[in-house]
This record gives sequence, structure tokens and C-alpha cells, in this order.
Amino acid sequence: MRELYATELEELESLLLEEGQLVDRAIRSALNALARDDLELADELIAFDDEIDRRYLTIEQGIPSLLARQTPVAGDLRLVLAILYINLHLERIADYCVTVAKLTKLSHDLPRDAASLEALEEMGERCREMLATGLEDFHARDVRHPQALVDMDRPIDRANRKLVDRFVAFGTDEQQRGWAMRMMLVSRCLERIGDHAVDIGEQTSYLVGGQFEEFTDASHPTPRPA
Amino acid sequence: MSEPVFSLRTSGRLRRRQLVSRMMGAVAVGAALLAVTVLVIVVVSVANRGAGALNLDFFTKNQPQGFNPKGGGILFAIVGSGVLVGIATLIALPLGVLTAIYISELAPPKLARTVRVALDITNGIPTIVIGIFVFTLLAKAHGQSALAGSIALAIIMVPLVARATEEVLLLVPTAQREASLALGVSRWRTTFGVVVPSAIGGIFTGTTLAIARAAGETAPLLFLTSLGSSSQVDANPLHPLQSMTLVIFEYSDQYDPAYQAKAWAAAFTLMCFVLLTSLSAKLALARYRKKLGG
Amino acid sequence: MEAIRTKIDVFDRDRSPLAEQRETVFEARELCVFYGDQLAIDNVNIDIYRRLITAIIGPSGCGKSTFIRTLNRMTDLVSSARLSGQLRYRGIDLYGPGVDAVEVRRRVGMVFQKPNPFPKSIFDNVAYGLRILGMRKDLDERVERALRSAALWGEVKDRLGDSALGLSGGQQQRLCIARAIAAEPEVILFDEPASALDPIATSAIEDLMHELKRDYTLVIVTHNMQQAARVADMTAFFGLEVAPDESRRGVLVEYDETEKIFTNPSDKRTEGYVTGRFG
Repeated sequence: MRELYATELEELESLLLEEGQLVDRAIRSALNALARDDLELADELIAFDDEIDRRYLTIEQGIPSLLARQTPVAGDLRLVLAILYINLHLERIADYCVTVAKLTKLSHDLPRDAASLEALEEMGERCREMLATGLEDFHARDVRHPQALVDMDRPIDRANRKLVDRFVAFGTDEQQRGWAMRMMLVSRCLERIGDHAVDIGEQTSYLVGGQFEEFTDASHPTPRPA
Repeated sequence: MSEPVFSLRTSGRLRRRQLVSRMMGAVAVGAALLAVTVLVIVVVSVANRGAGALNLDFFTKNQPQGFNPKGGGILFAIVGSGVLVGIATLIALPLGVLTAIYISELAPPKLARTVRVALDITNGIPTIVIGIFVFTLLAKAHGQSALAGSIALAIIMVPLVARATEEVLLLVPTAQREASLALGVSRWRTTFGVVVPSAIGGIFTGTTLAIARAAGETAPLLFLTSLGSSSQVDANPLHPLQSMTLVIFEYSDQYDPAYQAKAWAAAFTLMCFVLLTSLSAKLALARYRKKLGG
Repeated sequence: MEAIRTKIDVFDRDRSPLAEQRETVFEARELCVFYGDQLAIDNVNIDIYRRLITAIIGPSGCGKSTFIRTLNRMTDLVSSARLSGQLRYRGIDLYGPGVDAVEVRRRVGMVFQKPNPFPKSIFDNVAYGLRILGMRKDLDERVERALRSAALWGEVKDRLGDSALGLSGGQQQRLCIARAIAAEPEVILFDEPASALDPIATSAIEDLMHELKRDYTLVIVTHNMQQAARVADMTAFFGLEVAPDESRRGVLVEYDETEKIFTNPSDKRTEGYVTGRFG
């Protein structure tokens, strides 16, 4: 029953997952552009953001329409709200990718540090993993991995802190310092992308369990397992 | 443009159908006209013959005594009819209404059906039979009286009152009863506080129709009250009292044309009474039905 | 967005369950209702709380009306109706020996689906119960009070002698509510109170229910889920169960705070019904 309504919900979810795929490509492209110092790729990525924004807007507009017309309740309501929030998180992640691309352009002619770049690459890949896990769990309505997402986030935070220490030790060369500051921002972007991926996991937990829980809270750091 | 699959044009079959239709229509109209014409003829001929003898004396004086009497009237009969029908109504109204209440509100369906059938049968008993019955019960031992006549009339009236009352009681929506019961009002008080007041219009109409019927009865009264005085007005129900219908019966049997004229006049008066009450009762019932239904 | 409108009073009470703070007005234990040999509702266990609005929702034929009519013994009017199990009103067995159905109905009033005012004047409609139940003192004040409580006084105070049948549908329904209130019951039952009314009249009735909640316990049967979501504190979902012999009967599937029923119901059947996926 309510075929049209069920179809609408399915379409929204499909579109969201599609957006997720595009965001994953964006992260990959941002990392590639940074690693290869590829300005063209960076520009492509910035233009590509429009594709993501299109889907974002469609979902943004579809949600109030669905709420008003179909009055979803119970599981349907939680699904719509989850889609709403995940949509926002994806859009933020995409924005951070654009920022990384812009920073890549800005640091084009500056001297680079291979070790830092490697660390950043790893952070980025970890983010992609987390995003993929979060979206898969959402699609499968699977809540077995919430802790896993938090665990995956930890190395990213660690790497971020290590990079800070490394950049602080860079010394007096102005150009080097310039590059380091920009890479600091890149690191920050990747760290935020990781946080958004964890938030996506929280949405799945709410959707399936009906209770809203924060996996990690900036004001209450999760203690390390013994 | 493709060929239509079927044709909607007129064919011979249609024309035949139309002809038959028109013929049936004409026959129906004819029958209705006949029925109405009969009524009109009756009314007109009675009016014709009766209107002439109508005068004030007719309504205010009693039968003159002695040979070759002239003038006089049928006041005694008018009073007699009044007493007879009045007492009959007093008996039949509560009996009929309570019976109807029993059938429609209280009785289990099978019992209700039985009582209803009994009422219908009573309605169909020839009134002369009712007359003999009451005669054997009362008049044989105690002599004639208007009371006996009233009892016979009441027996005739009860089915009419009961059926009319039942009809309007059924028209009162169940929702009304439910509303009253849900307030914590007992069954009996619901019936008399909500159902009967809602039905009062119909009860009144039913009674009026029953009165019209009773006023026109002759056969049972022949046994029970025909020896009533015609020379003076008497209203004592323990005495036999003349009625309008008895007067029509007796006067029409007389040789004297003056009496025959009086018989027609009495017939005309009675007919007017019955027509007026029947018509107004039916109109009131129709209006009342609309009010309940709307 | 009616389904997720937050109810301030629930929040204020620190999210503790409404139930714990309330007395029980009705207690049903293993309540079954039969019509002849047909089982209409099976094994209902429910507590209805004082001065809350409890909604009964469910598909057609699930026994919602049957259940609500057991609360004021209107099931007595159906000769084939039979109950088993227990139904207590404030501790007293409603169907016990020596319990007068008429007395029960004085305390547990009812408003019906289609407004059914008597064909009397507006005043006489409200006064009807009062007169019969012997509450004749201060009749005028009582009638006014009832009409005010039903949010109808302003509209009819100048024409109390007019026929009740001249009022609009929504006004007639409020008159029926006034009539029920005048008899000073403790509980008011509503059997689909707004299904015969237009949306504006429905809103008026719903607002009225929020007011009435302060003084009365309300139980409403509604096939309109959104209405239950808007109005009720507690919601009971009656579902249809099909027995092996293909006979159907109503069962109480889930009973909880309305918010829970509409955001995160425990039973799959409840979820199926409130989302409209299954009838």
C-alpha cells in the first residue's frame, strides 16, 4: 500500500547513495590532485562539485515535500530525517574536498615534503573507507559497526596531531612554512571529513534503533579501550 | 472516421416499444382517473342531496315527536357520536400507543411479529362480527349502552392507532435512543422522554385517522346502542345513544321524504367530517415525516 | 508535520512515562467480547489513565468500537453480546452482580460519530439529562456551564430556545458534548467524534478535547491516525488476527505513549499500520 509513497522514499535513498558515490570520487580526486600536484584535476574537481550540489538540492527540496504530503511516521519518519542529515554531511564533505583542491592550487609552486604527503594520503584513504562503511551500513540498516567507525576515526585524529608536530618542526624556510600551513589546513579538512563520516554512522543507529546516540562528542573524548 | 461498432439509430423495435409504453401510460392514467372520478361522484351526489336539508335547526334541535312532525334536527346524534367516539378514543389511544411501544421497543422480534399479525387480523375482522362479540359479552346481560358501543369502536381503533404509532416510533432514529441511554437514562424514561415525544406528531395523526374511521362505523352500533333516545340530548354512556351513522341508517328507511333528506344531510355532514380529518391528518403526517427525516 | 510536534508537558516532566504519574480509571484483564459465538475482541489487557486522552486506533473490524462500548456497558444493548475476563472501573467490576448499567452510564458518558441531538430546543437538549437525573437545581447555571465547557455558549446564548436541529454539524456535535458533560460524568467516551465533520469543525473538537482533559478522562476511537497523533497522550493499537478457521478478531497489539507509537513503535504490526503500508 501507499506505492507512490514507498517509491518516493526509495528514490530519495537512491539519490542519496548516488551522491555518496560522487562524494567518494571527489575525495579520491582531491587526494590525487594533491599527490600529483595536478592543477587541471583540481579545477575539474571544483567544477564537479556542481554535480554533487545538484543532487544535494534535489534531496533538500524533496524532503519537505514528502513530509508535507505523506506525513511519514515511525520508521519512515526516521528514514527521512536520516536522509536529511546524511545529505547535509555529504555536502559538507564535498565542500571540504573543494577546499583541498583550492589549497592544492595555492601551494602549487612551493617545496613539498613527501612524508607529509604520504600521511595525508593515508588519512584520505581512511576517510574514504569510513564514508563507504557508513553509507553501506545505512543502506543495509546495519548497526553492528558503530564502534568500528569510531575506531577508524582515531588514526585520522592521531595522524592529524602528528602532522602538526611535524610542521611545527619545519624551521625557518618561508616557502616551506607556507606549504606546511596550507597542508595543515588540508589535514584539518580531512579530519573534518572523518568526523562527518562518523556522524553518518550515528544516523544509521538512530534509524535502526529509534534512539539518538552520539558516538563521539568533542567535549567528551572517548576513552581508549584498555 | 472508422465505422461505429453498433448503431444508435431508431429501429422498428424502438418504435414498437414506444407504442407499448404510451399505451400502458394511457391505461394507467385512465385507471387513476376512474378512481378519482368515483370519489368525486360520491362526494358530489351526497353533497347535492344533502346540502339542501342543512340548516341551523338541523344541528341544534332534536327529532320532533308525534305524527307528521316537521323540522327538528339531529343534535342528539351529534352528541351521541361524540360520546361514542370520545370514549372509544380514550380507551384505544393508550392501549394502541402502549402496544406499539411494546412491539417496537421491548418485544423480542418473534413476539413482536406475532402481535403485529394479531393487530392486522383484528383490523380485518368484519365490524359486525366485533359488534356481535361485544353484544354477547356485555349487551346481552346488561342491555344496550353507549359504553358497549365505545368498546366495540375501541377494538376497531386499536390496530389503527398501534400500527400508525409503531410506524412513527420506527422512524425515530436509533441514535436518539442511544444518546439518551448513554446519558444514564433508563429504558422506560428514554422511551417516554425522547422516543414518544419525537413520535407525537405521528401518534396524533394515527389517532385522528382512527377517529375518522370510528365515526363512520355503523354495524357494531346496531346491536349495541341503536335504542338510544332521539328526542333529547343524552350524554350518559351507560344509556344507549344514537350516532350519526345510525341516524343515516334509520332515516333513510323512512317513507317521509323529509327524513330521507335529513339522512342525506347527515351523510353529507359525516362525510365532510371524515374527509376533513383524513386529509388534514395525512398532510400533517407528511410534513411530520419530512421533519423527522430531514 | 503533525506527527512530530513535541508536546511540552511531556518534556517538562523529565520524560518520565506518563503512566507512572497517573491513577488508573479502567483496568481490563483478559477481556474478551463475543457476539453469540463470534469472538470480536480477544484477551485485551489495558489500563486507562485518569485525565489523559487515550486513543484507540486500528483497521476496520478490529473491535475498537466494541471495546469502547464495553466501558459504558453499551454492549448490553446488543442481546447476543457476552463478555469474559474482567473490566474494572476504579476498582469495581463493571459487569459484576448488582452493578446497575444505568449508573455506569451516568459516570461514563459517550459522544457518538454522527451528532445526534434530540429534536428539542438547545436548552432542553442540555437540560434533558439534568431533569431526568434529578439535578434540577440551578438548571440555568448548569446548562450554561456545560455549554461553556463545550465551547458553544457564545454561539448559542441568545437562542437557547431554538431547535437544536438548526445548528451546523460541528455545533451539533459540541451540543452533544455539552449534553454529555451536563450530567457530570467522570469519563467521556468518543466514538469517532469528528469523522462526520469538516476539517475546521474537527479542529474545534480537538481543541475542545485538550480543554476537557483538565477535568475528564477521555477515551476516543478514531480511524484517523493523524487525529490520534494530534490529540492523544496514550495510543492503543488494535489489530486484526486471523484464526486458523479464518475467523477474525481484534487484539490489542501495542499500547504506549503516542509519541512512541508514532516515532518508534515496538511491534512490526503497529509500524505497518501507522505508516500505512498495511491495512
